[in-house]
Amino acid sequence: MDNRSELDGKVSDGVTAGSAPLISVRNICLSYGNFRALTDVSVDFFPGELVGLVGDNGAGKTTLIRILSGIIAPDSGEVYFDGQRITRFYPKLAIALGVESIQQTIGLCDNLSVTRNYFLGRELVRRIFGLRFLAKKEMRDICAKVVRDFGLREGIDVEDEISLLSGGEKQTFKIARAVSFRNRVIIMDEPTNHLSVRERGRVNELAVQLKQQGLLVIYITHDIFQIHRIADRIVILENGRKVADVLRDAMSAEELEEIIRHGGVGPRVP
Amino acid sequence: MNPLSFVRRHPETATIALVALISCLFVALTRGQWLSVGNLQSLLRLAAVLAIMSFGEAIVIATGEIDISVGSTFGIGALTFLGLAPVAGSGLAVIAALVSGILIGSINGIFVALIGLPSLIVTLGTLFLFQGIAYAMTYGFSFAATDAVRQQLVYQAIGGSTLAGLNPAILWAIGILVGLQLLIFETSLGNRILAVGGDAISSYSRGVNVRKLKFGVFVLSGVLAAFSGGLEAAYIGYADGSFGALMELSAIAAAVLGGCHLSGGRISLVGTLMGAFLLCGIQSFLIILGFQPQWYILALGVIVVLASLVDRSLGRLIMKKLG
Amino acid sequence: MHRFFRRTDIGILIGCIFIFILFSLWNHDQWFNWYTFTSISRYTAILGLLAIGQTFVILIREIDLSVGSVYGAIGIAFISLEHQLSVPLSAFLALLFALTIGLINAVIVIHGRLSSMIVTLGGLFFYRGLVYVSTHGGVSGPPREARLDWFNQLLGGHWFRVENGFLLLLLVALLSGVLLYHMPFGNHLLALGGNSASAESQGVPVNRVRIWAFMICSLFAGLSAIATLANDPQTSVSLGTGLELESIAAVVVGGTLLTGGRGTILGTVLGAFFFTAVRSEMIAFGAPPSWYTSFVGIALLLVVTLNTVLSKRLTAG
Repeated sequence: MDNRSELDGKVSDGVTAGSAPLISVRNICLSYGNFRALTDVSVDFFPGELVGLVGDNGAGKTTLIRILSGIIAPDSGEVYFDGQRITRFYPKLAIALGVESIQQTIGLCDNLSVTRNYFLGRELVRRIFGLRFLAKKEMRDICAKVVRDFGLREGIDVEDEISLLSGGEKQTFKIARAVSFRNRVIIMDEPTNHLSVRERGRVNELAVQLKQQGLLVIYITHDIFQIHRIADRIVILENGRKVADVLRDAMSAEELEEIIRHGGVGPRVP
Repeated sequence: MNPLSFVRRHPETATIALVALISCLFVALTRGQWLSVGNLQSLLRLAAVLAIMSFGEAIVIATGEIDISVGSTFGIGALTFLGLAPVAGSGLAVIAALVSGILIGSINGIFVALIGLPSLIVTLGTLFLFQGIAYAMTYGFSFAATDAVRQQLVYQAIGGSTLAGLNPAILWAIGILVGLQLLIFETSLGNRILAVGGDAISSYSRGVNVRKLKFGVFVLSGVLAAFSGGLEAAYIGYADGSFGALMELSAIAAAVLGGCHLSGGRISLVGTLMGAFLLCGIQSFLIILGFQPQWYILALGVIVVLASLVDRSLGRLIMKKLG
Repeated sequence: MHRFFRRTDIGILIGCIFIFILFSLWNHDQWFNWYTFTSISRYTAILGLLAIGQTFVILIREIDLSVGSVYGAIGIAFISLEHQLSVPLSAFLALLFALTIGLINAVIVIHGRLSSMIVTLGGLFFYRGLVYVSTHGGVSGPPREARLDWFNQLLGGHWFRVENGFLLLLLVALLSGVLLYHMPFGNHLLALGGNSASAESQGVPVNRVRIWAFMICSLFAGLSAIATLANDPQTSVSLGTGLELESIAAVVVGGTLLTGGRGTILGTVLGAFFFTAVRSEMIAFGAPPSWYTSFVGIALLLVVTLNTVLSKRLTAG
């Protein structure tokens, strides 16, 4: 249970033992000025699993996620995708590789319409004289359908500014967007924060569904009990270091909470 | 103390050293002419006038805002002074000039601090507004100091005389520098100014009245700009509508050269003084060497950008070495 | 329909209609004639082209204070080149120069991590100084043949009494509007202005968009200069001084918000027209030019206050 190599073998349901990791980070270090955000973090992520990324504030979860989404680059360490080392990682590449993240504060532009937000960076175009023009009707129809399918409030006109949506609706929208484009990895940073109880349940159901479809779902949360119910594996970060990386079945939620509370006492990690 | 951290705490030292170095260069290249008494007198006077305006600008920048209307305020101050001096005496005229500075600064302050508009646009608006008023004021009127005025004590104290060969403006600049230095670095008010520039929201949550502070800072900038206009007018004895045109840009340049970050939170008044001195020094250097004055403008453009770049990278370098 | 009323340019549209009616009633003979129309359209074109370029930059929360000096520099370059090269080639090279200036501005801002205000302030000085220095303070007009060249005739002439420069403005405005609201680049630019972090996270190449915005701004400034000179080859070393501030005023009065991401090309063009029309009326009434300068200042303050107050109400509600 303490040995890393054992954990490598015992992966979650849906993934055969010994399959190659989809994303791998090795010895990641990153500092913001004097502040050490991440120190020597190494994790493997496999397709078809739901990994809970847990830790207190300032533990480095969001920083790690930003590295995985290509938004910031680590000071040192390597990032592997599909076994290939990625030397220059940037958001467009991440999105092209099928990595999409749903972050708390960023992801939407208030001055744009729902449709434009949906397709931002991936606009549908039609070519006239070789020039690329926005295919507005197609985008509108697709976006409207997604909005309906995800049960966002009926009265939304996808051509309205997205600032008209509530916090919870915006969150749901971000998730809908991430899920609808063909992705292989969905990273969710505290996805249930502004949601009602019912919406929360739906998001968690969705996360499990995605995992079952073979996607890798990385789920950041404070709530160890909530994640313990749905995750296959749980990774705990503390002060920029990885302090635990265990299968859900290996430890109970209470034991994991202990680890977080005491910052590292528990299963040894190489 | 670690020399690097000393420099970080007192950015003036780097600027002073730089200015000293460049001055030596100027002296060498002009075969001493740059340091001649005549040149030095006019150089110091020009620098003093620019410096006083730049102090106000630097303080505004320290709170994270900007004031590009100071050029027009300068002009209004000059015109007010010369306009009233023959009629009401220099003493009242000076006060009137200062009041005009307060007025313009208040308008800026209301729109920026109370209504919450971006300072660049607001001061752009007041720049235009008062430029127009300045021209309108001089339409058909001449603003010159009569002989009677030139005899007045206050007039002489402001700039129409020389003390040991130096124009009073220089003394005024030093005096204002000392006063402001004490204000910024020794009082809690000064602390609040820097805090607001560093992080307005945090300082607000700590009880700093950000609005009142920013309002006051703009008023101060206006007063200093108007006063410097009065100083210049007293020296030249004449003013017209174009007085002060483009001076705001030099003031900003001097502040930036002196080490003020445009993002706010950092200020160096001594550095600003050095910056003003350097700018005027470069101007006189070019003139002595026979370059047309327009070369100065070209140089100014390069200097402003280079100085900011150096300041940025130096700052980051020092942070890295220390962290 | 409600979306129509949330447009940023509703205000300036109403303002323009208002002054149009006002001036027509008040000063019918002097306002409603071809001469006035010609001079207004000419100046609107000059200011408008500059302001459209500035719009792109202000939309991404930056500013370009160098456009006045770029206008001067490109104009002088154009005239100087005409002495040695053909007119179209001179124009082409001059515009290339403009693009380069925009590129330099952008690169220093992005890689030097400086504010665009400082960098373009430096540019304002530098290019103005460059003009002075390279012309030794005196500028001769373009050669005789150049004025008769087809290119200059095209830009400077008219078509059924409408100034070609004004038609150029309309064309550029149309193309810019299409670029901004009907093409992916425009969506990226608006996103960048609205929330740069979100735009970046969604894969928008933010630095590349910034570079293009600055290049467009300088290019249009240069275009404005060439169109001006084709029409009226008199020029001086101080060509373009002060235009940067007027261009910013036109953009802001046209409804573009300084918080980024919201604004229209139409608004900017109307803003340019607004100022030009008022200026023309003031001159017609014999008011000294200083009154116009003050007016710009007051209009700027009032409109920005109005815009800010209204937009706060809209986003809060």
